[in-house]
Amino acid sequence: MNRISIIEVKELTKVFNGSLTAVDNISFTVEEGEIFGFLGPNGAGKTTTLNMLATLLRPTSGTATINGHDIHKDPDSVRRSIGFVFQDPTLDTELTGRENLDFHGRLYGLTKKERKERIEEILKVVQLTDRVDAFVKTYSGGMKRRLEIARGLLHYPKVLFLDEPTLGLDPQTRRAIWDYILKLNQEQNVTIILTTHYTEEADHLCNRIQIIDFGKIVALDTTENLKATLKGDVVGLTFKEPSDAKKMLPRLNQLEWVQSALPVSGTNNQVGMSQMMQIMQRMRGMAGGGGMDGMMPSMAGSGGSLPSMPKDPEKMTAVMKAMGEHGEQLMNFRQIQLLVDNASQRLPELVKIVDGSGVELESVQMHKPTLDDVFLSVTGRRIRDESGSMIQMFRRFRTMRQARGGTTPH
Amino acid sequence: MQPISGQAIYVVLLRELKRFWRAKARIIASIAQSFFFLLILGFGIGGLFGGALGGNYLTYIAPGIIAMSLLFASVFSGVSVIFDRQFGFFKEMLVAPVSRTSIITGKILGGAVTASIQGILILVVSTVLGAFFIDLRFALGIFGAIGVMLLITAGFVGLGVAIGSALTDFHAFQLITTFVMWPLFMLSGVFFPIDTAPLALQIAMLLDPLFYGVELLRFCLTGYITPLLGLLGPLITLGVLSGFSLAMIVLGTYLFSRAEA
Repeated sequence: MNRISIIEVKELTKVFNGSLTAVDNISFTVEEGEIFGFLGPNGAGKTTTLNMLATLLRPTSGTATINGHDIHKDPDSVRRSIGFVFQDPTLDTELTGRENLDFHGRLYGLTKKERKERIEEILKVVQLTDRVDAFVKTYSGGMKRRLEIARGLLHYPKVLFLDEPTLGLDPQTRRAIWDYILKLNQEQNVTIILTTHYTEEADHLCNRIQIIDFGKIVALDTTENLKATLKGDVVGLTFKEPSDAKKMLPRLNQLEWVQSALPVSGTNNQVGMSQMMQIMQRMRGMAGGGGMDGMMPSMAGSGGSLPSMPKDPEKMTAVMKAMGEHGEQLMNFRQIQLLVDNASQRLPELVKIVDGSGVELESVQMHKPTLDDVFLSVTGRRIRDESGSMIQMFRRFRTMRQARGGTTPH
Repeated sequence: MQPISGQAIYVVLLRELKRFWRAKARIIASIAQSFFFLLILGFGIGGLFGGALGGNYLTYIAPGIIAMSLLFASVFSGVSVIFDRQFGFFKEMLVAPVSRTSIITGKILGGAVTASIQGILILVVSTVLGAFFIDLRFALGIFGAIGVMLLITAGFVGLGVAIGSALTDFHAFQLITTFVMWPLFMLSGVFFPIDTAPLALQIAMLLDPLFYGVELLRFCLTGYITPLLGLLGPLITLGVLSGFSLAMIVLGTYLFSRAEA
């Protein structure tokens, strides 16, 4: 297959207020016709990246071309080439669906005839023909989303950006939106870039996925290849006491049929994670590049060069100790996730080993690797929905505020 | 930077008009408010002063009450850029290949037209209440008054857009209402003439741009203008008002263009 790259991103970086690096030197290309996903937790830099590509935010450094147009030199052509469905609703609810679409068509310079035809055509795709003359305030959440997607496609864009397309929708509506997205990709011949923090969404929709964490690309590959990097089965062991889990971690790591054993932190302590990354990067720098490499569970073929949870438990403990309070929190885990060859046969043995160590198990799970596990293995933690963690909320709030404050006019 | 696009201006203007037309409760409330002012203050205080102002008091305050509705409607319309930003429609316009200047031109036009329509409705109400002496001069003056209304409202929508672009939090809007809009209104010579006011108050009134709007509106509708401004009164008021409106449009456009999304 000879595919043309429709988006080329080169060393794109965004620093807010001179201190918060929301997007850190990322480069990637997207090919025409792809559904390309940015997967990452809240505040990872997904929306900031999209906003830069859409010329709503000016990059601190680096550049990108979309459909051959440079985001710095020709923002107008970039804007014509893209449709953008924002994370937060941007419909005028006091207007009807048709008026929203018609206004959009006018803003993009479509003639009256073009608007009329295109609106009818696009309404059929999202199945809103019968409700289009009702006020948007009477629409359900799913209908609003469909209308926004229709609107984003109205001016025949080459690329459609979907920022968290199913955020806040119920599972049934989410499924339906997924179907529309797949249908649009095929029937309308449009390349789709979407951001999500739902692994099952990325898995279901995307040809290729790029995992973003703290503004960096930690993995980029096809969905199949990402999952294939984890050969074997995933076994999750939950212990009664955190101290038991800590005690078992080095022992499990020594077993030759265990590829990796990772602690799964109970708290999603992002401040701690960010601090840990800094310490580890520093350690790596001191050791001249070789120091940390041996301790990382590597991602074959992912090109991910970012430190994740150290594999060597002793070194990991050292890192955690160096972090003080946040380290304590991260160390306070009860669950260990193992990547095991042939788990169905090894499971009895595994339970015997744990039993023999005199610690008590609460539960055992086993499954084939999913994107969730891939995410855990490259970032060292689970991707989550908005959890109740105050620190995370605060960080997200701050990132969002800074993201807004940094917008420059074009 | 993209050039000004007629289609984009039209879209924003049309949106303002549609939203205005559909918010009938708001129109009714605004007319009712002015109606109470005219009826209660006009006849109530009018009885107190008798013919002290060389005519009846209702005639004196009616242009000011029209100006009050213009002031509030246009500033609110401009400040609504905060809501657009809060509820997202703003982004849809910002990501389109049109300039912010086109967007804000449409916004100011739309705000000026809708606020002036309210002003015209109140002009009708005051005429029905008998505020104006109907003759040929009045009939011609109406056209001038409509022009003045557009000039006043364009300036105050500009001010509203400037405020709305600078504020990120619409709770602060309460403060703007109390500390900016009410003083502007009270000092504009709606209720009492400038020439009998104490000097400090006169200076404050001369600094109020709405004062010139009210005087010019009153001149168009009744032929009366304060003797304080001399024979050139109508020209001075027109000059000051035009200067203010132009400055506010430029300021609003500038602040809107550099506001965060």
